Formats: sequence, C-alpha cells, structure tokens
Amino acid sequence: MNMTVDPRRKEKINRYKAAKNPGQNEDMMPDYMNILGMIFSMCGLMMKLKWCAWFALYCSCISFASKRASDDAKQVLSSFMLSVSAVVMSYLQNPAAMTPPWAS
Amino acid sequence: MRPMFALLLLALLCATVANVNSNGQDEDDADNDFAEFDEDFAEAHYDTMTAENADSSKEKVETQKPRVVESDEDDDGLVENEDEFEHFQDEEEFEGYDATDAKEPAVDPKAVPKLTIPNIPLHFRTHWDSYWMEMLMVAGLMAYFANFFAGKAKNARLAQLWFSTHKALLDENFALVGDDGKTENENPGLNKESESLYTLWCSGRTCCEGMLVELKMIKRQDLVSLVAGLMRPQLDQAQIKIELTRNVMDSFVFAVGSKKTITKVFKEYTDLNKFCSLVSKPEERYNVPNGFGVLSEIPEGTSAILESRVITALNKYQSYIDYLHISDQFSGPIQQEEGNNLKQPETKAVLLAGFNLPKHAEMETVKPLLLLIFYLMERLKTYRMSKEGKAKADKNRLRVEEEFLKSTHAARAEAAAQRREDKRKQEKERVLAEEDPEKQRRWELKEQKRQAKKNAPKMKRLAVKSL
Repeated sequence: MNMTVDPRRKEKINRYKAAKNPGQNEDMMPDYMNILGMIFSMCGLMMKLKWCAWFALYCSCISFASKRASDDAKQVLSSFMLSVSAVVMSYLQNPAAMTPPWAS
Repeated sequence: MRPMFALLLLALLCATVANVNSNGQDEDDADNDFAEFDEDFAEAHYDTMTAENADSSKEKVETQKPRVVESDEDDDGLVENEDEFEHFQDEEEFEGYDATDAKEPAVDPKAVPKLTIPNIPLHFRTHWDSYWMEMLMVAGLMAYFANFFAGKAKNARLAQLWFSTHKALLDENFALVGDDGKTENENPGLNKESESLYTLWCSGRTCCEGMLVELKMIKRQDLVSLVAGLMRPQLDQAQIKIELTRNVMDSFVFAVGSKKTITKVFKEYTDLNKFCSLVSKPEERYNVPNGFGVLSEIPEGTSAILESRVITALNKYQSYIDYLHISDQFSGPIQQEEGNNLKQPETKAVLLAGFNLPKHAEMETVKPLLLLIFYLMERLKTYRMSKEGKAKADKNRLRVEEEFLKSTHAARAEAAAQRREDKRKQEKERVLAEEDPEKQRRWELKEQKRQAKKNAPKMKRLAVKSL
C-alpha cells in the first residue's frame, strides 16, 4: 500500500459545492418537529391545553437541536417564540396547575 | 198579721243560718274523731293515684313504642332533628330576630354592594405541590439543554479527533484538504453541517475529482434521539464518497458490506438494483468474512477487487467496515416518480465507503481504512477487464438503457406529439400575423395538402415503367 509517486495534483483541484439536492439521506427531523411544534402551539393557544403548549416547547427544542447549519434560523426562532407564547398565554388565562391529558 | 209573719220568717232564717255555722264547727270536731280513717282514706287515695299513674305511664310507653318503630322505619337523624330543632321553627322563640332580619335589607340598597375579591389566588400561595407536572416539564427542559451542550461538545471533539488523526494522511494525498465552498477558503478544515454532521472536502489527486467525508455522529445533542438509540443502538459513522475521474475505472458495479446494509442499499440505489445480483454464499466464493454480503455485476471484476489484501483488511476490520460500493453507473437513490423522467439520469463513476467509528475514540485503529480506500482507488486505475467481461458489461448497460427507453416510450411519444403540435401552432400564428394574403393562401394550401396526405389510406406505391 505504499505510494511511491506523489498522487497530489494541484491542477485537478475542484472547489467544494454544497449538494443542491441532498436526497433521501437528509435528516427530516427538524422539519417534522417544526411542523409538530406549530400544531401543538396552535392547539395550546386555541384550545387552552397546557400540555399541548409544553409539548410544542419540547418540539421546538428538538427542532433547534437537530437543525442544519444552513437552515434558516428565523424559522426555528419563530417556532420557539410561538411555543413559548403558547405556554405563557395558557398560564395567564388560567394559572391553575396543569392537568395531564389522561386525568381530565 | 202579715208583718208579724214576715218578721217571724226572717227571725227563723237568721236562726237557721246561725245554726248551720255552729254545725260546721261540730262536724270538724266530729271529723277529728275519724282522723285515722281520714289518713287511711288519704293513703288509699294515693294508692289509687299511683295505680292510675302506672296505668297512664303504661299507656305512655304503649303510645311511645309505635313511635320508636316509626323512627326505625324512617331516617333516624331526621326524626331527632325534628325533635331537637323544633324550637327553631317556633315563631315565638325568635320574635326579635326575625324582625331585625327583615329590617336589614331595607338599609342595604343605598350602600354599594360589598364584594370581597382576593388579590392573589389562594392556590398561588398555598399549593406549590400541585404544580408538579410543570416542575417536571421545566426539569426536563433543563436536562435537555444540559445534554445539548454536553452532546454538542462531545461530537465536536470526536470529529476534531478524527480529523487530526487523519490529517497527515490526507495532506499526503490531496492538494486541497478542507474547503468551505466560499471564494476565499476561510475555514480550511471540517465543516459543521449540523451538531451531529461534519463534512470534509478534499480534492486535487490523481484518479479522482474530489473526496467528500461525512462524519455522521450519533445525535448526542438530542436527548430524545439518545433515548431512541437505547432501543436501536447506533454508531458514529464516517461516510466517504469519492468521485472518480471518467474512464479511470472499467465499467462494472460492485458492493460488499454487512448483510443488513447490503440488503438495504440493494433496494435503495438505482445502479445496484439494475446491474447487480446478490451473490449466494459469498463466504465460500470470495472468502469474505461471515456476516458479509456481496452484490456483483461481473464476477471477474468482483474477484479482482476482492483479492487477498482486501480480504485481509475486511477480516481485520470487520466490525468497522459497513460497506464498500464501487460503480461506474452511480445515479443516486431510486427515484419514485421515474415515469415522469424522460431523460436517463446522469451517471458518475464513484467509490463509496461507510465505516463505523470506534466506540472509545481510538481513531488510530480506523486509520488503515483510509489507506484501504486509496489502495482501492489505485487498484481501480490499474485493473482492466478481459474482453468477455467488457462485452458483458456493455451488454448490461445496453439492456438497462433499452429497458428505460421502453418504459418511457409512451411518455416520450406523447411529448414528441405535443412538441409537433406546439410548433404547428406557432407557425400558424406567424402566418396569420403576416399581412400578405398571398402567403397566407399558400400556407393554407400547404396545410390542406398535409392534412389530406395524413388522412389518406396508406398504400404501397407501385412504380410502373412505361415502355
């Protein structure tokens, strides 16, 4: 396995092009979590379900943790804000403790 | 005489009254004589009274008894309450009370109704225990973020460790190691795609256009993925994709790897799916280690790749090698909407490899795997197939192309008809736009002739030679 000849070729240098279409290997987790977070936020806000608002917060956390560096940070931020506002609003409207979905 | 008689009568009357008074005293005296009898009588009378009492008490008991029975039948408390609180309903008992009560509302209407609203809800101060679910949620969030920072740092450390271990070898082989794609290469080294994916681009070498290394780490930054990983254990992976220079390698498609991965990629990738077949008993045929599968198109090419050195490396690093995939017809994963594609996908010659990274960050142990990749590249460059092998490979490529054309024939015919129709419409519009009526007439004549020819029955024309 010894290389006797130097294999390097400066004239053959190609610059890196980020894949335009990463294909099916791309991790879809952040997108799914983003959508799920929005749905939960809406449920939390509209139906005043506290556990929904909390789940939305978790979803946006997962989305934030697994987002790609090239992804738009605004999207993650907006999903975060939406879920936080869902939690805050639900406790402003009714400061009582949360009842889990199976107890109510 | 008469007044005398009246006086006599009066005197007699007075005498009788006086006599009666004196008789009473006499009787009292006489009664004293019978005092014993009087006492007896009194006792006897007492006895009769007690007897009467006894009788009446008996009667009372008798009258009470049915009450007790009644009270047993009804609710106990109710009966007692009626007895106990009867005086509450007695109006005489509460004469003054009712009067004051009745007077109060007469005073109130002038004053503002007194409502007491507590400023702070009671449960805020008292029942922190009832917020246990919120506390759990907040604790979960804190744990998630703590794990996020820890996992992120660990992934970055592992990726950097891989890079520093392999850097010398990469520098020896590539003129450019690490590129971020910007005009000025600001950050030569690993590129962070996400917290668990790092890429490294190397270029400037014989045989290849470039090499892309993707370090796919376990998603340590995501607690949910870590928990999911407990059920389906994952490993850190280094995926290498080398785009070979055209015509460096002979045309064949081949893949070797762990059986699980091989069956997966066989379904996933177009080239493997169309050109290769799964080799049965590869252990006996090619001496690959147990648990490995081989996908081969041309047996000759497969045995040329799986020669003794490669087999030794496969045996030695069995746990670290996930797959090796060599192809001159690589076009990525199978497209779902293939019917819509009228053009055959562009193909590239590639060498793909997937390696598992060691668990305990001993990157030196996997360093020889990169050497194996360079060796394979050199091997592909020098290896040439026999004529039969080449002919078979060409035949296979032709067959795949024909299959593709056949599958898209209808769609292509339709597209061609559409194109012709569009062209004719454009021409018609152009002619109509022109103002020269002569030209329009000529075009119409031409069009009529074409239509007639199209509609006319197809006949063989016979050439008759006139003598």
